[in-house]
Amino acid sequence: MTISKTSSGSRARTFLTRLEGPQTMGRGPAFWIAVTVAAAAAAAYPLIADAWTVGNAAYFLIWTFMAMGLSVIWGYAGVLSFGQTAFFGLAGYAYGVITLNLGAAYGLTILALVLAVVIGGLFALVIGYFMFYGRIQGVFIGIVTLSVTLVLETFMAQTAGPQWRIGEARLNGFNGMSGMPPLTLPWFGGDIVLYPGPSLYYLLLGLVVVSYLGLRIMLNSRFGNVLVAIRENPHRVAMLGYDVRLYQTLAFAIGGAFAALSGALYTAWGQYITPSSMGLTSAALPIVWVAVGGRRDITATLIGTIIVLAGFQMLTIYGSQYALIVMGGLLLVTVLVAPQGLVVGAMTLLGRIFRRGKS
Amino acid sequence: MALFQSVFAMLYQFGDTFAFLVISCAGLAVIFGMMGVINLAHGEFIMCGAYVTASAARGGLPLPLAILTGALVAGAVGMVVERLVIRHLYQRPLDSIIATWGISLIATQGVLIVLGSTMQGIGTPLGSIDVGGRSYSLYRLVLMACALGLLGGLYLLFYHSRFGVIARATIQKPQMAYALGVNTGRMYGLTFGLGAALAGLAGGLYAPTMTMVPTMGATFIVESFVTVVVGGADIFVGAAPAAAILALIKAGLTAWYGQLFGQIGLLVTVILVIRILPGGLSGWLKGTTR
Amino acid sequence: MTRNRPTLAGLMAGAAMALVAGAPAFAQEGPIRIGVLEDQSGDFAAATMVKVHAIELAAKEINDAGGIDGRPVELVVYDTQSDNRRYQEFMRRVLQSDKVDVVFAGFSSASREAYRPIVNQFDGLAFYNNQYEGGVCDNNMIVTGAVPEQQFSTLIPWMMEEYGPNVYTLAADYNFGQISAEWVRQIVEENGGTMVGEEFIPLGVSQFGQTIQNIQATEADFVVTLLVGAAQASYYEQASSASVGLPMASSVNVGQGYEHKRFTPPSLANMFVTTNYIEEIDTPASKDFVERFHAMFPDEPYINQEAANSYIAMNLYKQMVERAGTTDHDAIRAVLAEGDVCFDGPSGNVCLDPKSQHMSHTIYLAKVNDDHSISFPKVWEDIKPYWLGEAGCDLTKNDPSAQYTPSSPPPAQ
Repeated sequence: MTISKTSSGSRARTFLTRLEGPQTMGRGPAFWIAVTVAAAAAAAYPLIADAWTVGNAAYFLIWTFMAMGLSVIWGYAGVLSFGQTAFFGLAGYAYGVITLNLGAAYGLTILALVLAVVIGGLFALVIGYFMFYGRIQGVFIGIVTLSVTLVLETFMAQTAGPQWRIGEARLNGFNGMSGMPPLTLPWFGGDIVLYPGPSLYYLLLGLVVVSYLGLRIMLNSRFGNVLVAIRENPHRVAMLGYDVRLYQTLAFAIGGAFAALSGALYTAWGQYITPSSMGLTSAALPIVWVAVGGRRDITATLIGTIIVLAGFQMLTIYGSQYALIVMGGLLLVTVLVAPQGLVVGAMTLLGRIFRRGKS
Repeated sequence: MALFQSVFAMLYQFGDTFAFLVISCAGLAVIFGMMGVINLAHGEFIMCGAYVTASAARGGLPLPLAILTGALVAGAVGMVVERLVIRHLYQRPLDSIIATWGISLIATQGVLIVLGSTMQGIGTPLGSIDVGGRSYSLYRLVLMACALGLLGGLYLLFYHSRFGVIARATIQKPQMAYALGVNTGRMYGLTFGLGAALAGLAGGLYAPTMTMVPTMGATFIVESFVTVVVGGADIFVGAAPAAAILALIKAGLTAWYGQLFGQIGLLVTVILVIRILPGGLSGWLKGTTR
Repeated sequence: MTRNRPTLAGLMAGAAMALVAGAPAFAQEGPIRIGVLEDQSGDFAAATMVKVHAIELAAKEINDAGGIDGRPVELVVYDTQSDNRRYQEFMRRVLQSDKVDVVFAGFSSASREAYRPIVNQFDGLAFYNNQYEGGVCDNNMIVTGAVPEQQFSTLIPWMMEEYGPNVYTLAADYNFGQISAEWVRQIVEENGGTMVGEEFIPLGVSQFGQTIQNIQATEADFVVTLLVGAAQASYYEQASSASVGLPMASSVNVGQGYEHKRFTPPSLANMFVTTNYIEEIDTPASKDFVERFHAMFPDEPYINQEAANSYIAMNLYKQMVERAGTTDHDAIRAVLAEGDVCFDGPSGNVCLDPKSQHMSHTIYLAKVNDDHSISFPKVWEDIKPYWLGEAGCDLTKNDPSAQYTPSSPPPAQ
């Protein structure tokens, strides 16, 4: 995947040129070879790993969308959202309600997935409009978004009664909604049900690659440059004639849609969604993943999220009670020692060594 | 008599909620309102105060002294935390969220491992009084008095003492204060320590009325953030009326529509207040916006 | 305060036990692997740590006596951190990767609902050893905890007879509280009483000033407290300091979270609880159980009903495997369908009901005295989990894998 710097006339070429640029780390053949190798390794992984490990890896991939969305909002647009789980949970419930009512035939689960993402994204758009056009700034964004997700959690937790149903779907309160079908692909000679396993893993891997490359293009385009400019100096950007509020709102909606994608996929993965997925602890988790990896770079966020998810799970399996303490310590170390994020730090270091080796 | 009874009942409910909001938000108001640090470990300082208070009280110390001990220990812990962690993050408020969350995780789980999953309570002192056929806890009335005393004390401290003037100067214009010979590092430490001590005081005051578990701080944290945010930057102009208004909303909604609406109403209020008054009540009262 | 035991130690202890005790005596078939998913940290740890210990005790006793059908028992323990997601991750792990024969899992109903689709997907077998709101009709689940009809059909009529017909219910605002409150309402009406109040409290609420006033404003004869979690437990202290002074009836307290040990007397005085086991029960079998428990875990703060249920579940599983001659789930279900799988354990004789795969219990009425000691004014023997079967759940015939409630019962056949 080599890309010439000279801009040819073709639109597609310009488009692909944006795969690298000032807003994303990594450029040149070496980086893209590494990406290709990583993708190939990920694709070959199910051949060597057992069924549980593959299903578990698929589970980690589910969360990366929410993390990448938060990276756009927080790392690139400079707005800390503490309530990505609101969109996550809303989409999860939307997927549940739609599939429980429509069933899994004819690829309707895919439609439900798309609708859930649209619903989550629209909700983020509305909240974003409400906040940015109301000139809410800084830490107050965090508090408003956190309040939104806590309101949703508190409300959903008490919907156990039979009156809380949408069509066939009972919301089922704190215990959570279950019984929705997993993602099902229509296929000749019988539908393919994507239980956690290699087939779901490949679907998710494909989605991650597409999202990652798509986000790289977006972030290196004019839109991404304006977002970063807003993060660095909103007043100057406004003086240059850009509508800061519009850009922030759009970035927020995009981030919300990614959180919604995670939510719908999570619900399909476990056939289960609960109000506690919108609670305080859940809301803090994406921030941890993104911060530890490095919020200002989409690649670092992606790698960091997977490392943190896998690391904490290992800690829980082998470190037991001490897992949460190590997790807290890790956060402290990240903030104090590598404020850019551990993965960004490592990548910068690698880049420096690489350049030194060259010269 | 019936009228008096229901008026008293309403006042009591209002005062009870007001006291809870004021006491639980005071520490946060100093740390967030004055220093701009979002302290997600606020609840753990409260837990620290409560645990120390309970241990001291069971060790034979009279309750008021035990509460004081709880506040002092929490304050000391706060100063250590400030020195080790928070000091490096004043320029990066968003990072301080992550750091304090890390501290909160370590504290909660550490206490669980070291002290076990629960601690025996110490029981509420003072018994109850009868008003119009219903009984009310006397200790709750003491808490209301404490809330008022706390507001008064903080006002005196920050506006009529040398410490307060220097603290405010340090936080508003650190370079200027430093140039004038103030040891700004020490002032930051003391202010953070004061905030932590106030959180510890909240824990101590509520320790006799609550279940003692490592996660007990979490029940305070939403309410305290809501109050501080609605109040805005200036805690004295903002926090007291904010607590009053929120107490009215919460007590009213809880009385007429049940606890669920009390909870949700509080959160919706904060969303609306931020939207309409970005500077909080204090910003609005002072006729300025940030 | 006692210290909690790290899981790792438990895991190794379990493995070591199996190895040491097992070496010469066992047949060549390899151990029977039992997955244990319980919350050893997080909100629920206070009530669930003891469940893990009870399972370890049962495993040790079974291994010392020659194992299950000559095969040693091996425990695979994970800490689920009171987090539903961990249940999803680890349930898949024990079933897919560790390939356990049976799983003992879950404290909160939410955690059970989180892992149940996974158990169904892999056609596993899970024991849920908790008292809960009832209604799970699922071939892959065996429930040993008590359910509302067992606890309320005994408790409420007794309380109404003793204290009067006016009842105030205070319940946590989620599935367990709402469904339990529904049961209370129904039983009160059947017995000619009146609900003078019913209030639902969101989880996590810790301030009860208004609630206490609401109760005092009514002519309630007693209060049914279905409060859950550490925050809501603050109610007792606050009600006591406001001198509410009404008797309380509950199905969750004391038997699960040993509030009478944790709170200062007399905040829980005059609380009546129906439970299928607590460590104060004064029978020889119970005393013996407590003694053996403390011999292995001297620091155990309290042996609650869930611990007894977990212990009983291990022994029931042993019996069913031995009778089936295999750990195959269909064969085990066939044994269960015979309807005589019983065990005479610490809580008295219990039997599994083939229709619902729930368990009958001896229900003890525990009264908390002023000094927080416990007395037992009444004992009901052999109370059956009748509701699911009567409502139309029959797992010997079909498997809906659903959870029903009185207001949404199984569809008519």
